[in-house]
Amino acid sequence: MNPQLSSFAARLRELIESHVFCNGNQPLHDQFDSLALELFALQFQNNPAYQKICLAKNRTPENVTHWTQIPFVPTSAFKELELASIPAAERTAVFHSSGTTEQKPSRHFHCAESLALYESSLWKFFHLHFGDEDDFLFLTPNAAAAPRSSLAQMFTTVAQKMTGQPAAFVGRIWNDGAWELNFSKAVEHLATAGRTKRPLMIFGTAFSFVHLLDFLAERNLKFNLPENSRVMETGGYKNRSRVLSKAELHALIRKHLGVKEITCEYGMSELSSQAYDTAFFIDEDEEEVKRFFQFPPWACAQIISPETGREVAEDETGIIRVFDLANVFSVAAIQTEDLGMKRGDNFALIGRAQLAEPRGCSLMST
Amino acid sequence: MNLPNYFLADLPPEAELSPVIVSAACDTLKRNREKFLQPRSTEEIIKLLCAVAEEWLQPENKFRRLALEFGPAETKFSQATLQCGLDGFFREFRPENFHALLKQDLGEAEFILSGAETRARRPDSGQAGRLSHFCRGPELLVHIAAGNLPNPTLMSLTLGLLTRSAQFVKCASGTSLLPRLFAHSIYELDHKIGTCLELAEWGGGNADLETALFAEANCVTVTGSDQTLAAVRARLPEKVRFIGYGQRVSFGYIAREVLREETIAETVLRAADDIVAWDQNGCLSPQVIYVEERGAVESDKFAELLAVELAKREITEPRGEITLEASAEIATRRELYETLAAHRGDVKLWRSPDSTAWTVVFEHDVRFRFSPLNRFIFVKPVPEAAVALHGLDEVHGKVSTAGLAATPDKMRELAAKFARWGVTRICPLGQMQNPPLTWRHDGRPALGDLVTWTDFEQ
Repeated sequence: MNPQLSSFAARLRELIESHVFCNGNQPLHDQFDSLALELFALQFQNNPAYQKICLAKNRTPENVTHWTQIPFVPTSAFKELELASIPAAERTAVFHSSGTTEQKPSRHFHCAESLALYESSLWKFFHLHFGDEDDFLFLTPNAAAAPRSSLAQMFTTVAQKMTGQPAAFVGRIWNDGAWELNFSKAVEHLATAGRTKRPLMIFGTAFSFVHLLDFLAERNLKFNLPENSRVMETGGYKNRSRVLSKAELHALIRKHLGVKEITCEYGMSELSSQAYDTAFFIDEDEEEVKRFFQFPPWACAQIISPETGREVAEDETGIIRVFDLANVFSVAAIQTEDLGMKRGDNFALIGRAQLAEPRGCSLMST
Repeated sequence: MNLPNYFLADLPPEAELSPVIVSAACDTLKRNREKFLQPRSTEEIIKLLCAVAEEWLQPENKFRRLALEFGPAETKFSQATLQCGLDGFFREFRPENFHALLKQDLGEAEFILSGAETRARRPDSGQAGRLSHFCRGPELLVHIAAGNLPNPTLMSLTLGLLTRSAQFVKCASGTSLLPRLFAHSIYELDHKIGTCLELAEWGGGNADLETALFAEANCVTVTGSDQTLAAVRARLPEKVRFIGYGQRVSFGYIAREVLREETIAETVLRAADDIVAWDQNGCLSPQVIYVEERGAVESDKFAELLAVELAKREITEPRGEITLEASAEIATRRELYETLAAHRGDVKLWRSPDSTAWTVVFEHDVRFRFSPLNRFIFVKPVPEAAVALHGLDEVHGKVSTAGLAATPDKMRELAAKFARWGVTRICPLGQMQNPPLTWRHDGRPALGDLVTWTDFEQ
């Protein structure tokens, strides 16, 4: 491994772990630009696939003076190229993008050092939002069962670091690779929470919640989880369940689980940090609430106009780009295929860029 | 814009449709058809259609002016794009073209008219002459229009008039303007025939309204996504004939013989015509152009010249506004191809600066790619047609048009190859979005499929 990258990673890890969250003055932000430029220079030197992209755009450490000028790489490039500065022999893990229809998934390669940084990054920000003492229920498989899922890795890390009761994973992998729920185990945990009166934190993908809620609805089961119980949902539906709007999903969660607080997470296999929305206490009428996602201080989102490639104005919508310092051994500057509305340094998730699919006279058929 | 309320689609947006209104409209249509349309001869209908088109081609025509004034806001095509597309369409409306269509699809058959004009033809000599034929159109013909382009809907109405059918056009929300203007222009020249047409606008899948409509229909044509087709088909009563026009793609093919200094400029212009027409948003627009290698002008040079031409067209015939999602898709794809271009010498990209107005991607991978459209074209070099057809495997059975640029001999040779493979329309490059009236839509006789025959054996 390149010693400079290793040393950068170690330094960043320490910065993350010692970071103290406070309102307004966030010390890492003061250093963000210089860290980003330093990391860009290292990635330019050590990541040949990335270097070619930068050279084609005529952006090099010599002429880039601010992190926003650093060339961004589209997530789809992770399907085509090996965007890693980890020698093949040292790669110990790879995270793939999820989805049933993708022929070629994104590949984000990891090694011991990059995973350590990933874990520091995810835990620090997760802990800020969810703490480590309550009972945790994950509606996903764990990392051993789903080694290529960054989400399973994240939840497994959380389960290892938390201090409360051992966490439960009630997701499992079916033969076709799809994630399913062990419903009886899930229901058992919900029932236990009702008995113990200890708050339960439930984490899962949107489709796993739909699976659970459909199961509960079919049996007319409703839980009123103890006060301060919470739900975190993430990701899209990926053709794994029927598709609900956020408002519909959250209404069903409240109806069947009796949970008031629902947090959304925004993450992907190509990143090492996650964003959470800041609407912790939401009204009953959620349709009125815009949820704004925020990354930790070591990652920064920008909203870019697809027409001009420049950052949009406040409250305008564009493509979400994320500069994630914790992506030390791959590429820190990532352009997603998601659309967001800019609100300060935060953003509301609006949708996705249309995916090209068979279509002729069908664009506006409804 | 102030049009009289002849059609449901003319009503203000707050006017709510109900199944009762739809059923009543269908009843009226059928009665009017019986009285006003059934007695008309084919020649009268052709004369009317040609007169309507003639009007539309006059710069001062009020419907044309309304279309060009209000069309851009509703359709999102620029005025120049709309004008070019509509003019191309209406120029086809000539008596000889209609006669060719009738002859092609119906032979010598006569429409059954309600008056005394219907006469069985005397049998011609020879064996075939022992038969003569009558045909009749559906009493009520319903069109579920896709709405991304106006022309297919205008063509549907035209064919329905030839079959003397009462017609009800269900437009997708926010897409009825041009069909309405066309219907008004018919109404103005012949208001009795105008009363045999109805247009309404609602979001697809409105079960109450559509059940009422389908119950009255004899034949339903649907243009749209394969899912839309399947959804409508499943809800049609048994007796109703279904004609579906689903998702199709098209491609261009340029033979090396026309990649010469003397012909390259013309070839580039024609390719640009096809990409610019309707901002590439139709089934007939090319998504990929295959270019034969080893021409005097190399395939990547062609791609570069095409980019230069698209940049010029953006000034004279700008692309229309597109949605944020569509714009983001173009931006996302550009990023990917720029990334690939940085790694592989065989991928190149040209793009409009500071906008997504046009994009040319040159790549050696011969596989057909779905373009994000809106003037985003793939140019792919191939050694010969067989390789291009191999690249098209994934969309086999879904290809509408191949636009060819080649010498006449080579054109015939290529046409035979593409036809054998299953392409349903082969035309010169530059004409992809201008099908003639005789066009067999997706390989089927568009007029012929509407009628029902009576054979008269003598």
